[in-house]
Amino acid sequence: MLAQQLANGLVLGSIYALSALGFTLIFGAARVVNFAYGELLMLGAFFTLTVMTYSGLPFFVALPVAMVGVALLSVVLFLLTLRPLLRGAYTSLHGELQVILVTLGLLYILREAAIIIWGTAPRQMDMGVTGIQMVGDVVMTNQRLVVIAIMAMLVVGLYWLLYRTRIGKALRAIAQNREGALAIGLNTDRVIAFVFAVSGAMACAAGSLLGTLYAVEPNMGGAPLLKAFVIVIFGGLGSVPGAIVGGLAIGLIENLAGAYISFAFKDVFTFILLIAVLLLRPAGLFGRAQ
Amino acid sequence: MRELAIAVLAAVMIAAPFMLGDYQTYLLTLTLIWAILALSMGLVLGFVGQINLGQAAFVAICAYTCAILRQRYGVDFWLAAPVALAAVVSIAALVGLLTLRLKGPFFILVMLAFAEITRLVIANWQDVTNGPLGLKGIMPPEPILGLSFDTKRSFYFLALVVLAVCLLALWRLIRSRTGRMLVAVREDELLSEFIGIPVMRNKVIGLCIGAFVAGLGGLLLGPFLTILAPSQFTLFASVDMIVMAVVGGVGTLVGPVLGAIFLVYVPEFLSFTSHYRPAMMGALLIIVTLVAPRGLLGLADVARGLLARGFGKPRRESGERGRAG
Repeated sequence: MLAQQLANGLVLGSIYALSALGFTLIFGAARVVNFAYGELLMLGAFFTLTVMTYSGLPFFVALPVAMVGVALLSVVLFLLTLRPLLRGAYTSLHGELQVILVTLGLLYILREAAIIIWGTAPRQMDMGVTGIQMVGDVVMTNQRLVVIAIMAMLVVGLYWLLYRTRIGKALRAIAQNREGALAIGLNTDRVIAFVFAVSGAMACAAGSLLGTLYAVEPNMGGAPLLKAFVIVIFGGLGSVPGAIVGGLAIGLIENLAGAYISFAFKDVFTFILLIAVLLLRPAGLFGRAQ
Repeated sequence: MRELAIAVLAAVMIAAPFMLGDYQTYLLTLTLIWAILALSMGLVLGFVGQINLGQAAFVAICAYTCAILRQRYGVDFWLAAPVALAAVVSIAALVGLLTLRLKGPFFILVMLAFAEITRLVIANWQDVTNGPLGLKGIMPPEPILGLSFDTKRSFYFLALVVLAVCLLALWRLIRSRTGRMLVAVREDELLSEFIGIPVMRNKVIGLCIGAFVAGLGGLLLGPFLTILAPSQFTLFASVDMIVMAVVGGVGTLVGPVLGAIFLVYVPEFLSFTSHYRPAMMGALLIIVTLVAPRGLLGLADVARGLLARGFGKPRRESGERGRAG
């Protein structure tokens, strides 16, 4: 029973970590709390589903296509709505409030657009992986193992990007000190646009995986967005390892609390944990004190 | 001139329900309640300088406390209301003491978590709140001082009086010491602390006043809709209030009221289906933030400036939000 709950928690945690990664990347590089991020997840799932339906491609081919699509959308949204604000005020609270207001507006528009295009009915998305694995008492569907594998691949890819490439280096420089990065001649706008693309692609992957496990529907973005908030605060806003550890931890806690304490109140536990972490260690477990 | 305008407006608002039909009175009452809620958000946004995504939770707590006291324990509305308001202000004080230390995005995210906890508790505490189905058949307030509130018209006047009293009280507040300290803290926290303003205390007071006004809106909301359900108090309820405050003009008292009028009546006149309303809210929020950060009032100022200069060179609108009133 306990081992099974731990395994379930690991699967859930993988998806949570994946959802939180794109969110925390944007915050780290651009100081943007992106409220529209959950909607990118949702659109990612719909893009994948649409590619699968119209071209008949299997899930694993459709997913990268959709990831490119959402990455482009994410960049376009950044260029249209957020870049003008980031140009004006890098540090003032006023600028920060405006950024949040704009992403809240995007949340409304993207969700409404999905409802108009695809309707509100939940849809099934099939990954095309069947069968189960048994280790001792623990039962795991192959589908869920694939979820964990994809998450691991994307995390490795992200680490490679951040620590082994020039653009990753530029990105880390901007995250550390934007004025300094500007002063040494980095094109911050272009790097931040690139981060939005990566973040969109991650959102698409997380959303599509969620869609195969549950259902694809316009309202599916709300819950992962809230989870991403909890995770990035838990792990530290802008911290990549924090998002991974935080995601796995929240997935495990939720599963264990749901199984052993109260299923109805399992989300309440994560939120209370969030508030406790913020009060005891406001910068998060992996965050730097400001 | 200003007094005259206020007097004319008051006369129009008092005469309105006698000239209009039931539906228009309903719509006007809805506008008044939204105006109260938007005002509470405008106060936190404009004078504490924070986005409070937990405002809907304050509304919910007050509305539910009052309705539960009345329905389950048979308490009179006029007794339940102050109890509910006291409850919501104490909760706001507690939450504020814990969270207002947090800077920037952290406050926003914790208040969102607080709102979610409140909503989840309401949705899952079946015995008391009746869960997702909500509380039904909430009666209008009991008669008091020979006034009864069981017609649409009388309820409209109740909402009108509450809004007027709120506006007057907040108008006095922002001209008081506390109000000026709030503005100082909003503009520069470090400097305010340096010149001896108790920053934390002022922020908590600001949040509590916001919660009180939000609670007043919640008290009216229950009897007005006759039903309360957790689905009414999601993130989107708070965002609706933000849109109204921002569209009207942040940092003013008239702004949120204008925003409420605008956002209730514009979809009504353009006969938008309810389907497109959220998209419109989102688009408005983005456009106003990017193009006219001071909202309708800012645009009115620009228009006045243009008229005064005889359509000279258009003055570039600045992002300043220091004005009050």
